[in-house]
Parts: sequence; C-alpha cells; structure tokens
Amino acid sequence: MTAYLVQVFTLILIYIIVAASLNLAIGFTGLLSLGHVALFGIGAYTSAILTKDVGVPFMPAFFMAGLLSSLSRLFLTVVTQKLRGDYFAFVTLGFNFLVVALAQNWISLTRGSLGIPGIPRPVIFGLTIKSGGPFLLLTTVVTIGSLFFLYRLTRSRYGRLLEAVRDDSVGASALGKDVYRLKYQCFVVSAFFTGLAGSLFAHFIQFIDPTSFYLSDIIIVLTIVITGGLASLTGSILGGFIILAIPEILRFLPITPEAVGPLRQMIYSVILILILLFRPRGILGKVDID
Amino acid sequence: MDGLIAGAIYSLTASGMSLVYATNRFWHLAHGAVLLSAAYALYGLYSLLGLNFYLSSILTVITAMVLGLAMYIFLYRPLRRRRAGNLIMLIASAGVLLFFEGFAQILFGSDVKTLEFIEVQAGINVGGVLVTPLQLIIIACSVVLLLVFWIFIKLSPTGKKLRAVADNVELARLTGINTDRFQALSFVIASAIAGCAAILIALERNVEPRMGVNFALVSFTSSVVGGIGSMPGSILGSYLIGFAENVTLWVIPSGYKEAIPFVVLFLFLVFRQNGILGVEKGMRE
Repeated sequence: MTAYLVQVFTLILIYIIVAASLNLAIGFTGLLSLGHVALFGIGAYTSAILTKDVGVPFMPAFFMAGLLSSLSRLFLTVVTQKLRGDYFAFVTLGFNFLVVALAQNWISLTRGSLGIPGIPRPVIFGLTIKSGGPFLLLTTVVTIGSLFFLYRLTRSRYGRLLEAVRDDSVGASALGKDVYRLKYQCFVVSAFFTGLAGSLFAHFIQFIDPTSFYLSDIIIVLTIVITGGLASLTGSILGGFIILAIPEILRFLPITPEAVGPLRQMIYSVILILILLFRPRGILGKVDID
Repeated sequence: MDGLIAGAIYSLTASGMSLVYATNRFWHLAHGAVLLSAAYALYGLYSLLGLNFYLSSILTVITAMVLGLAMYIFLYRPLRRRRAGNLIMLIASAGVLLFFEGFAQILFGSDVKTLEFIEVQAGINVGGVLVTPLQLIIIACSVVLLLVFWIFIKLSPTGKKLRAVADNVELARLTGINTDRFQALSFVIASAIAGCAAILIALERNVEPRMGVNFALVSFTSSVVGGIGSMPGSILGSYLIGFAENVTLWVIPSGYKEAIPFVVLFLFLVFRQNGILGVEKGMRE
C-alpha cells in the first residue's frame, strides 16, 4: 500500500511540474499552447536516449532534456509568432502530432512504437536513486525547485511585466516593452521545466513509447491547469492533486483493466466540461481564458 | 484514386464544421464525436441488432442530428450565455470529443470493427484506374449531398437567413431573425451530413474509437486551408488534404500520415492565412 502511494505521489508531482509550467505559458501570455505534452515527450526521449544509448550520466542528460525541450519550443515560437487564438492552439496541437509521428517513425533513434525499455535509474554523485522513497525525494526536490523558480519569476518585476503584456499587449508595447520577446522567453522557460519533468518521467517509469504522449495526456494537463485556475501556481498544485487522485479510486472498483484508461479519459472530460460551465476561472484562477 | 475517396469523405465533415464555424464562430471539434457516434450507431444497429441496412442508416442520421442539437442546447448555448470566449468553446468541445472516444472504447472495445455489408468486389477499370463500385457510390453520394446542401444554402429562404447569421449575427438579430434557432439549425444540418459521412466511412473503411479525433482534426485543417467560412473552400481544402495524404505516401513512410494534415495546415497558417480562396471573413481571431 505504501509503495503504491509513493508511486502515485511521484507521478502527481511530475505532472504538477508540467501543469505549473503550462500555466505559466497560458496564464501569462494568454495563448493556449497545446504542445506541452510533446515537449514533455522530447524531454523524456532525450534523457532516455542519452543515458541508455550514449551512456551520458544522469545529471547532464537531465539538463539536456530541459534544454532540448526549450530549443524545440523556441523553434515553434518563431514559426507561430503571428498566430493567435484558435490558430495558435491548433498549430501547437499539430506540433504534438508531428513529434509523436517522429517518435513512431524515427526507428533508428527511438525504436518506434516498441518504445525504449530499461531506462537506467538516475545516478547522482555516485549514488543510485532507487525506486520508491528515494525517487520520490528526488522528484520532490525538483518539483519544489521548479515551483520556487516559477513563483519568484511571477512575483518579480518580470512577472508583472508579463501580466501587463497579457492584459494589454498594445499598451505594454506602447511603453516600449518588446512584447514578442517577453512571450517567447515565457514559453522557453516553461518548456525547460516541462523537459525536466519529462526526464524524471522517463527514469521513473523506465519505459517510454509514443503512446505516453498522446492527446489524452494533453487533456489531463489542461484539466489540471483549468481546474486550478489560470495564472495561479497554487491552483495548479491543488488541481494536480485533485485531478490525478480522483481516477485512482477506479483501481479499487471491480472494473476490467482495459476499461480503466477510457473511463479515466471520460472522467477528465466531464470534470473539464463541468468546470468550464460552472466555474470557468477554476478554483484559484485570476484571469479568464481568452 | 485513394486521394479522391478521402477528399470526398473529408469534404462532407469539413463542410459541416465550416458551417458551424460560420454561424457560431468557434471550432466545433466535437463534430468528430457526432461522426464517431453515428458510425457506432450504424455498427450497433446493423451488425449487432441485425436491422435492415437502410433502416439502420436512417436511424444513424437521426442519431447524429439529435446528438448535434443536444450538444448545442446543453453545452454550447449555456457556455455562450456565460460569455465564454472561443478558446473555452474549443476546449469544451475537445472535452466532448474525448468523452465520446472513451465511451465508445468502453461500450464496443478499442479494436477495429467492420460492417461487412458489401462484400469486397473486383474493381472496374475506369480510364486506366481500378475502382470498386463502392468507391464510385461514395464519390457520387458526396457530390450529390454537397450539391443539395449548396443549393439549399444559396436558394432557399432558410438558407438565406443562415447566410445572414453567418455574415453578421448582431445585424441578423436586429432584422428580426431568431439567430438562436438558426445557430441550432446549423448544428442539425452539419450533424446530418456527418451522419451520412459516417455511413460512407463505415462502408469503405472501418469503425474505430480514434476516428473521431482524426476526422475532427482533418476537417478543421481542410476548412482553414480552403478558406474559413467558405463552403467551396472547405471542399477544395478537403480534396487537397486527401491528395496530400496519399501522394506523400510515395515519398515518406506511411507512419507519418497522421501528421501530414498538420504540416499542410502549418504551411498555410504561416504563409497564407486566408486559405486558398482568400476569405477574409471570420479571421478576426
């Protein structure tokens, strides 16, 4: 039972990093970015391939995961700079499909749909981080570190500037602020932490394949962000616990294992729709979407 | 040839999505859910319950229409009344789409279903290309349906009012048109066409849970590529995507097929935002 709780807790923390950084991207730019699961996947694959096939130690691979994810986001931001609203959302969603298609077909690198099994446990300063308690500790440290950084960022003058850009981008640019640069910095920072979370995920599950980064996962993360509320980090943390804990009840009900996945997807969709209908700002949200 | 078939099917779903966008100004992704449910309704009625095929088809189209209308009444209209923006509508409709995908998986399992109504027939040679009779029927159905739809929109009094709503909702309301009813009507019409498309898809391809998401995304892409809010545009876009998917098979592995519409979408949004027909209407976010 304890082992099970530790597992669930670790996963929740990993998802909270993704949700919090997605919240930074959506809540502080006002643009609905749906490519975060792809960035998460890029982080996971980078770390898995570097440690397993290339033999790079965990720490450099971990940071490379964040870096590569940032770089991909930078590329995406440069090509989507003119887009807003629905179109931005769809192109970032398309990016997701593109990355999954790459993971499935670039077989020499990713082994395609077979996935990468046996991803090594992280080794930090000669210490191997075992599964269970020690891995939870590592995840907690990374989560707290990421959240602290994001918190400081949103509270700084820089964060205020981002809020100004979101609320009135014309006004902010009239004051001489480079709106476009602020937005892409925001995305790149957000992608970095998402990449780190991806790396943790790969070393935690020790097996990744393209199906782990599909559309249903976007909905999970998006539901966490919207339930918690936009532009609220505390909201994302709370949302993460609520959203990921609810479907765990399913494990204790007499359902066939094949039905668990689809049922979870249905639960998330219902929560998402109900929140949008009755409390569009989420639990602690400060701003409306759109 | 495969491109032509794909285009014929996509044009049905895309024109419906385009109609809903024109009158309601948001992307109705759950159009894919209507299609998915209709296809499973046909499978359930015909293959599982053993009803007559034509009766099943009629019931399928009715199911689609009811579902489309229900989505408008129970989800989109309350959301709009709360002044929800486009992105909220988009997320909500994605939620509906995934809900039905999960539902279909639980009810029917995630494996691929086949209808087995028409036995595989030998192709006929038409101008040097092998075509099965079914494929000809699909293309004919698609063309006839869209033609009827187009004539209805262009010539009937109801169609005229629909176009007025699509052009400017506020203005239409001021001239005494019950805009709410016409927005609902556009869902019913779009869903009816999606129901017909579902029948054709079930006959030619298979029925599977993923089809809702796939068709929703392709329909969106086709509408944007062709020119938003324009029916000829969305048809043109559909054939373009259909051909692009199949022509690229010669050059790159088939595993990339799902990503092709997005590459096309991407190129269009970056280089030609107004689509092939260059329609300005509706581009204001």
